[in-house]
Amino acid sequence: MPAKHNRIHWREAMNGFGRDRRSWRALAATCMLAFALFACGTSSTTTGGSAKKLIVIITPSPDNVFFKAEQDAAQAKAQAMGYDTLVLSHDDDPTKQSQEFDTAISRKAAAIVLDNAGADASIAAVQKAKDAGIPSFLIDREINKTGVAAAQIVSNNYQGATLGGQQFAKLMNQSGNYAELLGKPTDTNAGIRSQGYHSILDQYPGMKMVAQQSANWDQTQALNIVQTILQAHPDIKGIIAGNDTMALGAYAALKGANKTNVIVTGFDGSPDVVASILQSGIKATVLQPAAAIAEQAVVQADAYIKNGSTGKPEKQSLDCVLVTPDNASKVNNFTFSG
Amino acid sequence: MKIIDRPRVGVPAEQVTSTIAFNRIRVGMLLLRLRALIALIVLIIVFSFLSPSYLTAGNLIVMTRHVAINAILAIGQTFVILTGGIDLSVGSIAGITGMISGGLLDQGLALPIFGVVVFFSVPVVIAIGLLVGIVFGGVNGLAITRFRVAPFIATLGMLYVARGLAELRSNGGTFPNLAGRSGLGNTGFEFIGVDSVLGIPVGIWLMVLFGVVAALIAARTPFGRRVYAVGGNARAAVLSGIRVNRIKLAVYMISGFCAAMAGLILTSELGAAYPDTATTYELNAIAAAVLGGTSLSGGKGTIVGTIIGAFVIGFLSDGLVLVGVSTFWQLVVKGAVIVLAVVLDQAQERLQARITLR
Repeated sequence: MPAKHNRIHWREAMNGFGRDRRSWRALAATCMLAFALFACGTSSTTTGGSAKKLIVIITPSPDNVFFKAEQDAAQAKAQAMGYDTLVLSHDDDPTKQSQEFDTAISRKAAAIVLDNAGADASIAAVQKAKDAGIPSFLIDREINKTGVAAAQIVSNNYQGATLGGQQFAKLMNQSGNYAELLGKPTDTNAGIRSQGYHSILDQYPGMKMVAQQSANWDQTQALNIVQTILQAHPDIKGIIAGNDTMALGAYAALKGANKTNVIVTGFDGSPDVVASILQSGIKATVLQPAAAIAEQAVVQADAYIKNGSTGKPEKQSLDCVLVTPDNASKVNNFTFSG
Repeated sequence: MKIIDRPRVGVPAEQVTSTIAFNRIRVGMLLLRLRALIALIVLIIVFSFLSPSYLTAGNLIVMTRHVAINAILAIGQTFVILTGGIDLSVGSIAGITGMISGGLLDQGLALPIFGVVVFFSVPVVIAIGLLVGIVFGGVNGLAITRFRVAPFIATLGMLYVARGLAELRSNGGTFPNLAGRSGLGNTGFEFIGVDSVLGIPVGIWLMVLFGVVAALIAARTPFGRRVYAVGGNARAAVLSGIRVNRIKLAVYMISGFCAAMAGLILTSELGAAYPDTATTYELNAIAAAVLGGTSLSGGKGTIVGTIIGAFVIGFLSDGLVLVGVSTFWQLVVKGAVIVLAVVLDQAQERLQARITLR
């Protein structure tokens, strides 16, 4: 009886749909529209079943061009060195990251290149991979434990932030009110950059921070927050942002309010901000060698796979470069050629 | 009419019979009915004391501009909720609309078959964007009416699908330049998000336009009455000859349309399109509707209430930013206010029951 009941139910449902030409037409139209609009989108694929070893690359969401550049550089380097790649993003969610580590372990990856989802929350996942015999090569963000990852290669965020802070102070003539946009509170780099900025800015008694808010690295949030801050502090002279997407959001708010004379500086060296600097919009940013770091991680992973050691200390840092209108033309996709 | 079915127990007899108490109930009822408006006024008074720049023309415009995005999303959401459904995909639809329109402005539409790249003028791009929203809303509606998927599930699926398509559109990247090029004749996109008419940003005018039209549709047209009927009692609606599926399909298309409008304004204001645009905005839209007195079980609520709800949320979050409260406390306060709104909603229903009983 139940089987029969189910069959009739299913048939009825199908009849109902099949007879209705409009449903099919709507479905077909949707598919065609989707094709037309997404034809130019590409997607990376991995070839399964080959004898090549696999390097898994895990980063935050590529929505931020910085992480996109990281992914692309690591993937290109690994493929050039003869590896298969699997690119995943954890969207700053440690739980998702942990599941992606499980994937890497079950696919018997030879190495993991990771830009992690939290300095403390990621330790367990990296340990899990280590226990399974897979070395992790951390890029961009450190974890709060040594001896778990095979390498931690980061840009020197503190050094970069002092460069950014110095330039910001110089642009402000060491005086006036300013606002600071902080990154995601759970990201170590948000804190380190803010400390770096303040190690410089707090030395000038004439400079006063009148507002400090987190915009979670997000462009729209930065836009909305700066619009509001401008209401409370219309006399503001500068905005120092913890990264470039927030600097872009801040600049959009200033542009809308016809206050483009307010000084904005960022951090990352993303192509959009570099372009803005060249058009004298945003005044400065700090370039992180994202591409170089990602490539370094792959090179060291290769050495580790072949020799069982990277031959380098676990913690390595690459210095950042200040980008101003003078040298912005030498920056291309997170690489400085000067 | 459901209210009459409630058991009479729990209503103290002396209160039902006492006229003075009854008048008190009526006053209480009025206050509860106007709770969103009262909350808004209280908010404005409190924040005016906390920050001298809160109650200035400039700040009111900035805050209303932020409200406009959520209000437009919430207007569409209200139609859906009135039918007893829910649309979780509005944030993602706003995102995909922004990406498609941004892509058309920045890179044009490549037609490899003809070997050309077509650039559309801004009005056409906006029209395509709005059409995209209607189509995505229509797919939601078809899944719900033809394939009998529960609205929560159908639109949850669309939340992911549309966000994924937004990411695919640019392969995760950002379209940074939406200014257009005068040589291609596609400049002027900043009109809907950045520019002002008579000193008021266009986004706010659009909110007013959407609000007035939606309120008229909901309250004064046969379609509006059918929307309420479907949500009040779907079975009775069917029996009285209303084509329930058609109404449901229409409300999801309206919601998609509103989401697309919000996505376009947001993208224009930012001057850049990125795939994460408007993530979790569906929750703001639902919260605004609920704060404004829309019942999640359908059949009850007004457009004006929803817009006031959006104002409460927007004026509250911006006030907290202005005063300099930390991000974490902002979340706590926002959540508490939403739950409080529903608590008051329940209180209103109880009072209503007392009055009806009398």
